[in-house]
Amino acid sequence: MNKTININLGGFFFHIDEIAYQKLRKYLTSISKSLSDDSQGKNEIIADIEARISELLSEKITDSRQVVSESDIEDIIVIMGQPEDYSDADEPYSENNFSQSKNNISGKKLFRDGDDKFLGGVASGIAHYFAVDTIWIRLGLLALFFSAGFGILIYIILWILLPEARTTAEKLQMEGEAVNIDNIEKKIREEFSNVSESVKNAANHASEKIKDGANEFSEKLDQTFSGKNKKNKGIQGFIYTIKKIVQILFKVLRKFFAVILIFLAATVILSLIIGGFSIGSFEFLNIESNFIHYPDFFFAATIPRWILTLSLLTLIGIPFLIILVLGLRILSSNLKRFSKTASLTLLGIWFIALLIIIFTAVEFGTTHSNFGHSIQKNPLKIATNDTLVLKIRNNDLIYYQHNLKRNSRKHQVEVNGTSLIYTNDIHLDIKRSNSNIAYIIIQKTSYAASSGKARKNAKEIKYEYTLEENKLILDAFFLSDLKNIFKDEEIALTIYVPQETNVYLDNSVKNFLSDVKNKTNMYDSDMVNHHFKMTNTVLKCTDCS
Amino acid sequence: MKIENTKAQMRKGVLEYCILSILKNGDAYTSEILSTLKSAEMIVVEGTIYPLLTRLKNAALLTYRWEESTSGPPRKYYVLTENGALFIDELDRTWSNLVNAVHQVTSTKTSTNE
Repeated sequence: MNKTININLGGFFFHIDEIAYQKLRKYLTSISKSLSDDSQGKNEIIADIEARISELLSEKITDSRQVVSESDIEDIIVIMGQPEDYSDADEPYSENNFSQSKNNISGKKLFRDGDDKFLGGVASGIAHYFAVDTIWIRLGLLALFFSAGFGILIYIILWILLPEARTTAEKLQMEGEAVNIDNIEKKIREEFSNVSESVKNAANHASEKIKDGANEFSEKLDQTFSGKNKKNKGIQGFIYTIKKIVQILFKVLRKFFAVILIFLAATVILSLIIGGFSIGSFEFLNIESNFIHYPDFFFAATIPRWILTLSLLTLIGIPFLIILVLGLRILSSNLKRFSKTASLTLLGIWFIALLIIIFTAVEFGTTHSNFGHSIQKNPLKIATNDTLVLKIRNNDLIYYQHNLKRNSRKHQVEVNGTSLIYTNDIHLDIKRSNSNIAYIIIQKTSYAASSGKARKNAKEIKYEYTLEENKLILDAFFLSDLKNIFKDEEIALTIYVPQETNVYLDNSVKNFLSDVKNKTNMYDSDMVNHHFKMTNTVLKCTDCS
Repeated sequence: MKIENTKAQMRKGVLEYCILSILKNGDAYTSEILSTLKSAEMIVVEGTIYPLLTRLKNAALLTYRWEESTSGPPRKYYVLTENGALFIDELDRTWSNLVNAVHQVTSTKTSTNE
């Protein structure tokens, strides 16, 4: 049992069984394919053939209720001939075509492949000829283009010179297959899905034409006239090609742009991936590395650092991924679009990453928004008539510094098994004490979400000094908890000495003095290696020239 | 070289001449042309004629008109154009020359063989 289909074939009505219908349709499609590519003539020929087939069928089918079967169609095909017979008859033999005997198993010929074209199908044609994948030829041409610009010239020349493979026979010749029924059928099978649509259109067109016969007649007269000017066709064809080339030049610019996009996006994505992997493995192996400079706000974050890293990579990576795909789509139009789910997922991931980063940034902002001081006042027991010597000393076992100076660079160090932050941001000043006692004020500053917390943070900063007889030896650094690595913590030291006290500034304090007032307005850096005496206001140099 | 190909090429060369000759004797629709050609064994399969007719029509050697038919949809009747008439006259001469020439060549051959 089979379904039947009602068809209108050349003005006759037929019941045709489905298999027979498919066979007939395929037959007509293959004929249409094997005819040369003059669409108007093609439609007309197909219409004529349909009319003839319907005539033959109606001779066979005497009873209108009878169904056209597969064997009927087979008989028709025997009468009408195989598709390649059509193409054979279609070959205009008047010009050079006698030399090419089309039915032979032919050697390969160089054509342009219109079915697989990027610009003009030159590369795919060459690829068919040498039986390699088209991509290699394209890459080769591209390389030539970039190396000397010759690729484009070669391409254009080939484009003009090479004919496009239009008929099935030509296509098979291009691919180096024997031109016979089997191959044509194979070829047509491949193309069948593509052309079924256009054949439908052609059939519609054809039936319209039959109704519009009179109109067509006058059209043919016009063609008769233009037929005399056949020689112009060559020139027209050439102009057409030139036009096409200009159009394509713009297309090439577009492609060039696409190549740049792809290159850019691929570079960024690749470096992100490599970066991500190396950060990941550093973290995993617990390697402390100076290679990694995390953004400031990573350190105060409550969200694990690997999530932050991943978020940051995604945040940058996804837009470039889209750029990459965009570029690829410009290059090759048959690349599939992102599916709706895929794009929504990407968007979702991107937003989550964005939220994580925003959250962390805000968190960073708040944990650094308020500062707090912790102030200590310690008396310095020194004899009044002695000279107070001020020195600064670093602990090279904690962190080696070649030149001692104030800066806000942080260094992560290990002290007794705990990670701490080593900082040099120490300001030193010397002022007159209102009493007879010398003392030191240590003001530590830190930051946190609230001033109270900041004060607490500040209190936790570790800073030490020693007083040996009359030598005040100050540490050149202070230590703080690792979480404070990106807070601008600092220490301001102010040494108050009674009037008439002698002070000697050792060379080591040179870079820590912070605008020390003195009688002669000496610069801080000039004050070292000199003796001073505290007047009733500020220091006064006693051994300066 | 296959004999079939040579035969086909030979037939192909004169097929257009034959079609035009048929039309010279009067307008005909496709089936008539086909049956004449088939009975003379000028063509094997019918399909070949359609591209040929279209090409002749495009070359303005013939044209067609639609004529109502009693047994079905309208039929395409092919008509020789003026150009076609001139063309066929020229071809007639060429053909008779050719037949003579071929005959001469082949008969000389046979006579030398004898």
